[in-house]
Amino acid sequence: MKTNSKILTGTHNLSGNEACVEGAIAVGCRFLSGYPIQPAIKIMQRFLSRAYKVDATYVQMEDEISALAALIGAVWTGKKGITATSGPGLSLMMEHIGLGVMLETPCVIVDVQRVGPSIGIPDHPGQGDMMQARWGSHGDYEIIALSPSSPQEMFDFTIRAFNLSERYRTPVALMADEYVAHIKEKVIISPEKEIKIEPRRYYKGPKDKYLPFKRDKDFIPRMVDIGDGYKFHVTGLTHDDRGYPVMNEECQEYNVHPLIWKIRNYVDDIIDIKETKIDDAEIVIVSYGAPSRIAIKAMKEARKLGIKVGSLKLNTVWPFPEKRITELARKVKAFVVPEMNYGQIVLEVERCSYGNANVVFVSYAEKNVDNVDDLLSAIKQVIKEKEIKKEIIEYHT
Amino acid sequence: MNPIITAFAKGIKKSGIKPSRISVPSDIPFEPEIVNQLGIDFFHTIRGRAIAFGTGLKLGNPDLIVVPFIGDLMTIGGNHFVHSGRRNMDLLVICVNNFLYREINGKSAPIQKHENEQITTQKFSPYSTFEKPFNATHLANSCGAVYTARWTALHTDELADSIAEALNKRGFSMIEVLSPGPNYYTGIKKIESDLLKFYYENSVIKNGESPRNVTINSDEKIVVGKFTEKEQLTFIEQYNLQLGKVLGSKFTPHGGRNG
Repeated sequence: MKTNSKILTGTHNLSGNEACVEGAIAVGCRFLSGYPIQPAIKIMQRFLSRAYKVDATYVQMEDEISALAALIGAVWTGKKGITATSGPGLSLMMEHIGLGVMLETPCVIVDVQRVGPSIGIPDHPGQGDMMQARWGSHGDYEIIALSPSSPQEMFDFTIRAFNLSERYRTPVALMADEYVAHIKEKVIISPEKEIKIEPRRYYKGPKDKYLPFKRDKDFIPRMVDIGDGYKFHVTGLTHDDRGYPVMNEECQEYNVHPLIWKIRNYVDDIIDIKETKIDDAEIVIVSYGAPSRIAIKAMKEARKLGIKVGSLKLNTVWPFPEKRITELARKVKAFVVPEMNYGQIVLEVERCSYGNANVVFVSYAEKNVDNVDDLLSAIKQVIKEKEIKKEIIEYHT
Repeated sequence: MNPIITAFAKGIKKSGIKPSRISVPSDIPFEPEIVNQLGIDFFHTIRGRAIAFGTGLKLGNPDLIVVPFIGDLMTIGGNHFVHSGRRNMDLLVICVNNFLYREINGKSAPIQKHENEQITTQKFSPYSTFEKPFNATHLANSCGAVYTARWTALHTDELADSIAEALNKRGFSMIEVLSPGPNYYTGIKKIESDLLKFYYENSVIKNGESPRNVTINSDEKIVVGKFTEKEQLTFIEQYNLQLGKVLGSKFTPHGGRNG
């Protein structure tokens, strides 16, 4: 059957990268432009091998800058598009992330993180791009970022990333890491009718009345496909409803204020966190991506020792669940944050706990993320702390 | 109205292509009302990246005719230009060369020879230039462009003809337009007329001249004309051909005017 060849419904043994491509195809993505980089290369390969079956377009561009530029262009012709890269490529994409935000272009950028800085180790997992994804492009903007921790989540979150990008008309980053991208696990692909697809919000009205940035009640302007005779004008300059550049303070407010608030007003809808045994917890492990795989393990082992530990997994990292962390900080004794970097999201946890709970950072930057011992020792150590230290406690072995 | 835009409008009319099929990604802002009058779709993107953006538009919808208008072509957009030529991506690049930003074509002859002190000393650089200018036409030709031409803002009719011709040409085409840069010179009427006079006195039409010999330099006359015209498979045609060869009947070719 034709539809079944597009969505591979069933149970498969897939790597994270492969699952990501299947998710993209399932949600209707038909365009990939990219530049090969480890460890994201398998996404491009898989997409290329699947492209002809689903009538998708694939192009290998000359660099990551043009990859994202071409992606934004293709999205305006009516396609859903994706690009995949790693840290060095994400650095090059930054200027176009800003353009994507300003033109309110829905697209998905997969960043399979490796360790840095600079070239680092291409085949070693890292989580050093989390802050870059949030703040990397110049000027003020809000972004949505998701962080999968298994191939199944690579599949599910890719679908959600596309849906969020269409719903909020913004680029969405899928912040995976080498561990999740390369590990092979069982991935269940549900039947076509069970996959939720957010449709593009198209303008339906007379052609000459179309205003590309006229916002509806939900803050989201309506899109058209170019080439349909809408005499479309759009610019990265501060613009008005018509997409014409107007450079004054009123228009800056009129244009940029909704770009920020179309996300901030809907954080409850966007934020997705998974809480486990948090009700009676004294210590909460806050994790995302590959380290959340050992968080549950550490939680179980600690509970065997009589320490009440809960787990809070960030499925969406940006926007950050500020309210929930602040709320928990008043109840729990400490947050333990394992990350494969030298401390990024732990800063957010500390900011949001306002000194009401201890914040312990466990770095997995140089260690194997399978090793649960460090996390467990940090938990054992922090339970002994009598008073609240108003700084991040770094755990060293 | 800007003579280049006038020529573009005339070119679209002559080519017989419906304006709604034409999309212009650009790194220079257009007057929005002009875009509206032309009836095209317009994207003002990031400096130098219009070709990359246009590649996405073309591949997203092969029916579109994509015409990147570029200022920063040879510096920040150099790599995109070279690779689009290599792929023979079906784009018509219009390079607006006004010598204001020296790297576009080097700080080349017209400016150096210009007598107006105000421009040469204050607005450009006080020490003049010592870098060699870029021969963009020669570069385009050696990257595999199927159509190259150069005109000045004085040659509006020839420019319109060239644009009409290139719009109907499949493959990577480039038209270089030497222009006095209306945004920059607005209000300095004398300079505008001086530069046009300069073009009038210093350009010579040589159609079919080898692109190798059309470098703009200070001692010689500026050569304008149509330099290259050839046939070559475009990116989408090559893509369809190659995948069709490997996959056979399983492959459905991409559509548009190339498929």
